[in-house]
Amino acid sequence: MRKQKKTSLVMFLVLAFGIVFMMNSHEVIGASKQTLSAAKVKKAPAGLNDPAWKKAKVADVHFEGKESFAGKNALVATKAVYTDQEIYFLFSWKDANKSVTKGAWAYDGQKWQHQKGNEDRISLLFEINRINNFATKGCAITCHVPDGAPNAKEGKFGTATAAEKGDLWHWKAARSDPAGFADDTWLTNTSEEKGGRKSDAGKGGDTRNMTGDKSMPKYMLAPGKMLAKNGILLASDAVEIKDYSAFKAGDTLTYRMPKNPEGSRADIKAQSNYANGSWTVMLSRNLDTGHDDDVAFNPRKKYNFAMALFDDSGDENSYDSEVVTLQFKR
Amino acid sequence: MRAKTLNNTAEKRPESLWEKLALDGMVMRLRTLEIYSGALTWNRFFGSLLLALLVLLFLSGAFMAFYYSPAPGYAYDSVDYALFSLPFGDAIKGIHHYGWNLFLIVMGLHLARGFIVGAYKPPRQFVWVSGVLILLIVPAFIITGDLLPWDQKGYWSTQVRISIMKSVPWVGDIMVQLVQGGPMTGIVALTRFYVLHIIFLPCLLVLLLGIHFHFIWQRGLCGLISEDNSSKITVRFFPFIFNRWLVLFLCVTLVLGFISWYWPAPLGDPADPTDSTFVPKPEWWVLFLNQLVSIFRGPWSVFGSVIIPGGLTALLIAVPFIDSSSERHPARRKITLIIATIIAMVLLTLSIIGYLEHHV
Repeated sequence: MRKQKKTSLVMFLVLAFGIVFMMNSHEVIGASKQTLSAAKVKKAPAGLNDPAWKKAKVADVHFEGKESFAGKNALVATKAVYTDQEIYFLFSWKDANKSVTKGAWAYDGQKWQHQKGNEDRISLLFEINRINNFATKGCAITCHVPDGAPNAKEGKFGTATAAEKGDLWHWKAARSDPAGFADDTWLTNTSEEKGGRKSDAGKGGDTRNMTGDKSMPKYMLAPGKMLAKNGILLASDAVEIKDYSAFKAGDTLTYRMPKNPEGSRADIKAQSNYANGSWTVMLSRNLDTGHDDDVAFNPRKKYNFAMALFDDSGDENSYDSEVVTLQFKR
Repeated sequence: MRAKTLNNTAEKRPESLWEKLALDGMVMRLRTLEIYSGALTWNRFFGSLLLALLVLLFLSGAFMAFYYSPAPGYAYDSVDYALFSLPFGDAIKGIHHYGWNLFLIVMGLHLARGFIVGAYKPPRQFVWVSGVLILLIVPAFIITGDLLPWDQKGYWSTQVRISIMKSVPWVGDIMVQLVQGGPMTGIVALTRFYVLHIIFLPCLLVLLLGIHFHFIWQRGLCGLISEDNSSKITVRFFPFIFNRWLVLFLCVTLVLGFISWYWPAPLGDPADPTDSTFVPKPEWWVLFLNQLVSIFRGPWSVFGSVIIPGGLTALLIAVPFIDSSSERHPARRKITLIIATIIAMVLLTLSIIGYLEHHV
């Protein structure tokens, strides 16, 4: 009888080992892809230096330069945490120059001229509905139609079919960050005539500060208001210029004035800081906004996303990342 | 005489539901069936656990089939929907996924125990043979089921298996043509795998189970090696053994349900047939086979892919006819056990090497 009990104990142990081994098999086995693990936190991070970020494991995401940045690389230290309601991303990357000019007006005492310079940006693309082969090819499958294609200019951003939808988060140092947001847009199919990049429902984006003949700015800071972050004039704080003689040489005015977003376009909140030659950007959003033009995050699922970095450059010159898998840790 | 019997049956009005269904005879036999009380106890439950897992696999598979769409463009999305959007979808998919893993483990243990206690000895040779045939059908379920979610792992694992299948001399190409239905793994292959997985293989499994139970019924369960009085105690199958089985079924459902809730069943990236950078890693149950294929290359590949696995399978089936003496006690079957242990150790070593090579 004692022998029987021993045998039973051994069988139980083998079975228990088998179950533990089996539970280990829940991970998909295959080629490794970079993973960003979002740590679960009870209290949402209030800022860039919140202790909550210590809980998150950093993923150093490699970016490869395209077009005029070809041959160059960039590295973005990426972290993510989430609460029951929201998800937070923290990005940090080296950038020798803080670029927030975006063609701002400069007065030389006689006339207004656009300053040279663009802005720094980072964008993320998630899938709302599955985009064919996005999981393996990333932005290459959506954003970059071949040069010379009929819709190469308009259709540079978009998907192949209407059923494939992407959620594009676009943080812009000059055009969205001063308002405290990242631009919330989405991708649908391209056509011969039109690109597939659309703004989320609601209001937002930026407005151009210029007169009808485009020769000078139309708006200035309203009395009693203050310029927003990076010395940017928000559209909501602007008032029409009545007396241009009040300006003196060397004065500057924002050209692309960020608007305070509303509706689905106001889903992604942003905080940022530029110090010691590095940008640190925090983006946050509800896990599920309830909007059709946003990806709804289910913490039980994994999500693929890809990123692009723009260093004082337009859409054509960027650093692109490989696809990264976002997973939610318990 | 025959006509009279029929008339008698017609005259008697059926009263209970079982009588109305003409199942009263079978129900009576089940109610009065007495079986060995140790058939299902806390230290002897692998066979019953396998049956519980099988029922769970059938039920969870049937549920998933309601939502599954066997076309490459939709298969992944339909699985994703069932897994993450349906209430308890993750638990059901998880039970199916972890269920077959556990089924293989328990099947191995069941077989090992049967081997050690000599359960294949006369008159139970065909209980063993039918059991081994059931074991052999499980990989076919896994292979066909792997492709169904149309994810990277399933797609590329299938490519590896097809290339191994292709290396089989003479019949390799025909086999590939049969399962794949064309030169590429596309919609025809997916449909064939689906039909095999949900119709042909389950029918074959039920048939083999029927044969297995037939032999158990006819030849009896294998008793303890050291027969004592306790081994002769019998109890009614219904309700005693049946209730014990229900408790076991409930326990395994809860355990698998909990595992599935905590660790949702995996679903990789959607299959991308143009992404040849994806290298599938062999799963735990196939590590030793993978190593055999790696060891024997070029003109010798047939040894790793066909001759050795086929030889081992034939040996496993033939065990009752090779070791045909009536002696069951392990201490008096040393040679058989030593040979089996050496084979098991070699396979385990190959698996460990494979694990270290692919997973560490």
